[in-house]
Amino acid sequence: MSAPGRAPALSSADVAYARLACLPGMTPRRLRVLLERWPDPHDALAAVRAGRAVAVLLAQEEPQPRLFDARRVGELTRAWSEAAAFDLTPMLWARRTRVFVDGRPDYPIADEVPGRPPVLLAEGDGPDALTRPRVAIVGTRAASVHGLLDARDLGAFLARNNVTVVSGLAIGIDGAAHEGAIDAGGGAIGVVATGLDVVYPRRHVVLHDRVRRHGLLVSELPFGTGPHRSRFPVRNRIIAGVADVVVLIEATATGGARITADFALEYGRSVLVVPGSRRNPAAAGCNALLADGAHPLLDPADVLLALGLAPTGARGWGAPSPRPVPGGDAPAVLQACRGEAATADQLAARTGLPPERVARAAADLERSGWLRRDRGYLWPS
Amino acid sequence: MLASVRSATLLGVDGHPVTVEVHVSQGLPSYHVVGLPDTAVRESRERVRAAVLSSKLEWPNRRITVNLAPGGLRKHGAGLELAAALGVLGAFDGLPDGVLDEVGVLGELGLDGSVRPVPGVLALVDALARAGAREVVVPDANAREAALVPDITIRPARTLGELRASLIGLEPWPDAPAPPEPSASEDDEEVDLGEVRGLSLARRALEVAAAGGHHLLFTGPPGVGKTMLARRLPTILPPLARGESLEVTRIHSAAGYAPEHGLMARRPFRAPHHTASTAAIVGGGSRRLTPGEVTLAHRGTLFMDELGEFPPTALEALRQPLEERVVRIARQSVTMSFPADFQLVACSNPCPCGLGGPLCRCGDGARARYRRRLSEPLLDRFDLRLAVTPPEPGDEPGEPSAPVRARVVAAAERQCHRYADWPWRRNAHVPARALMRVVRLAPDVDAAWRGVSEARRLTGRGAARLLRVARTLADLADETDLSEVHVLTAASLRDDVL
Repeated sequence: MSAPGRAPALSSADVAYARLACLPGMTPRRLRVLLERWPDPHDALAAVRAGRAVAVLLAQEEPQPRLFDARRVGELTRAWSEAAAFDLTPMLWARRTRVFVDGRPDYPIADEVPGRPPVLLAEGDGPDALTRPRVAIVGTRAASVHGLLDARDLGAFLARNNVTVVSGLAIGIDGAAHEGAIDAGGGAIGVVATGLDVVYPRRHVVLHDRVRRHGLLVSELPFGTGPHRSRFPVRNRIIAGVADVVVLIEATATGGARITADFALEYGRSVLVVPGSRRNPAAAGCNALLADGAHPLLDPADVLLALGLAPTGARGWGAPSPRPVPGGDAPAVLQACRGEAATADQLAARTGLPPERVARAAADLERSGWLRRDRGYLWPS
Repeated sequence: MLASVRSATLLGVDGHPVTVEVHVSQGLPSYHVVGLPDTAVRESRERVRAAVLSSKLEWPNRRITVNLAPGGLRKHGAGLELAAALGVLGAFDGLPDGVLDEVGVLGELGLDGSVRPVPGVLALVDALARAGAREVVVPDANAREAALVPDITIRPARTLGELRASLIGLEPWPDAPAPPEPSASEDDEEVDLGEVRGLSLARRALEVAAAGGHHLLFTGPPGVGKTMLARRLPTILPPLARGESLEVTRIHSAAGYAPEHGLMARRPFRAPHHTASTAAIVGGGSRRLTPGEVTLAHRGTLFMDELGEFPPTALEALRQPLEERVVRIARQSVTMSFPADFQLVACSNPCPCGLGGPLCRCGDGARARYRRRLSEPLLDRFDLRLAVTPPEPGDEPGEPSAPVRARVVAAAERQCHRYADWPWRRNAHVPARALMRVVRLAPDVDAAWRGVSEARRLTGRGAARLLRVARTLADLADETDLSEVHVLTAASLRDDVL
């Protein structure tokens, strides 16, 4: 691997693979068919340019060929021979893009994973993130404060234990896990469902850049591909494939994190799940998985055990610092939260204290880290 | 063959004196109105003629020219008709010379010669008084309202015929009514804060808003009592002072809401529906500028339920009156400013699903889109922002309005006293540059304030708002200086609720 900042040496075969992967309308299945017919990517590219490739796909697409329409076959043939003539080399060099090809020793997904992409594109200054054990942390975009805290803490814990965090760079749990890992000085792999030159969601433009500097951005999609809702579930199979262990923190019953977990179970990965309250709609998917027999994650060191590593140092979440409960009304107010988010109004009603005393106690608890404020509610943390 | 009569017309919420000059000369019988009349004024011709004839008076079959001076001022409505009719009579020897000197005349005419009421009499009589008129003839129906203006004799008029008879001394003037007293018992539905269960902090926020004039935003799930609470704000507001009451009555009268019981005693509470247009909220119109809800809520409350459902342009248009307490409207033909010193009380759901907090089921994107309907500068202008949750089981009905109102009135008096030498009267209106001189923080309070501001990552403006609220809390507790608990309570009353 090259040092950060230096361009990786791309062979002409690498460039040919990248050019094949970046053809319009290319899918992993089609790419695999082409590479089986022409194992040398130069040959495959030449066949595409000559307009011979689509016929091969047509022969393979059984039982219901999607390309049976003669007009569409003609269109694809033309589009491919035009696009294949475009030389990506200068762009790949300028972007310092890496090309991972299935079957080579540096390809990050194990052989037993079906449907793995034949070619993966990656960019970033921390390629050694791939050489360490990898754990995916996934979850809902509509996460609660508690979920975000857990994701951050777990990301940081794994980073301190020299484990790379894999996630999808989405809002919510994904982003918090990446943030936690990078803040703790670790590496991160962000598998995106767009081209590597597209930043989505826009709000994560800074995080995108941080992952690029401290780890790798990975995609199977051609440059310039924008977000589309159909591509996120497909992307999740790469997250599950790249990771050795998958952790779910707050997943809704039907969300993308559930899909990632299903892929992980299919690939034989360990799936660890943080349990949640039945009152928390963002934890319904987690609890359903636990009911199905997934392993509950109660201590972050469980992840290390699942990786086959010996936990070193203290067990427990993060660096536990002694946190004395402030005096006065604070213990009563904290008690009145009943472990859930509450408004100051509710706390006043439950404790029977006047609002002024609740306000003072809440301020003390906030200052000492026992409560957090979010959207008008106080959350115990 | 020339007569001139004083009258007045409305421009926005203010009266402007108008001189109605009538010239009767030889020529083909005709009746022309010149001097920027609007359609209603131009139509007056038929009414004036019919009213004169119905009153068994002679109509001059000559060339009649009515000029409305000043010529540059646009005249509205039918309130100049009575003046025009008297002018015609005066110019054609129907009235002795001199009887209309220093007399203002207001009123619309019916075909039968009756004198009909006009909107905005208070503002019009006020304008005439300031222009030097000593007597003013007003429609009988408006006489009580007109009597509120001091130092001017009110002459009520029922019909044109009777008015002429009184003017030339054939009959005595009818008695002028006594100015009405402010009537407090004008509310049709009596509500009380005592009906609200629990919600101690939200009630506190309402009290602080009433005492210091702070703008207030409640968020919370549907049916939890946000609206119920907000609608009880008028029951704890201090009453209008006499000067304020006159001002408010004048505005409402000019807007066509003639107060039947005379002077308004209660602070106005305006609750426009969220389908209201921008012009309806801030005022507008193409030729004739009319005051909007912000002006009708002057010295009172503008209540906006479902704040996020109002058109974004209307919400953004609120920012300037919120800051300057005056709304300036410019149209091609005219620019005006209306008073708009109102207190904004708003309610909103926290997110599309409405549940908010730990129960919210909305996606992050949906929540962000919902929040984007309310701009940051608008949200920033709310001194008090609070999430309201359903009452807890076992919550008792709270304190009734009367004692809360007593505390509010006392706190308002304290503020008036403190700000006697300043141009503002409420804590919410203290400008940032004077704030530190007004609150004078002790070192430990200053530390608490800085600590909270830092923990919340408040901007300078946000931190200043915290201090204004804390000052009101201290006023409510009858304390001279701010203490730490006031600052901390203020912080819990101003949260990032969306």
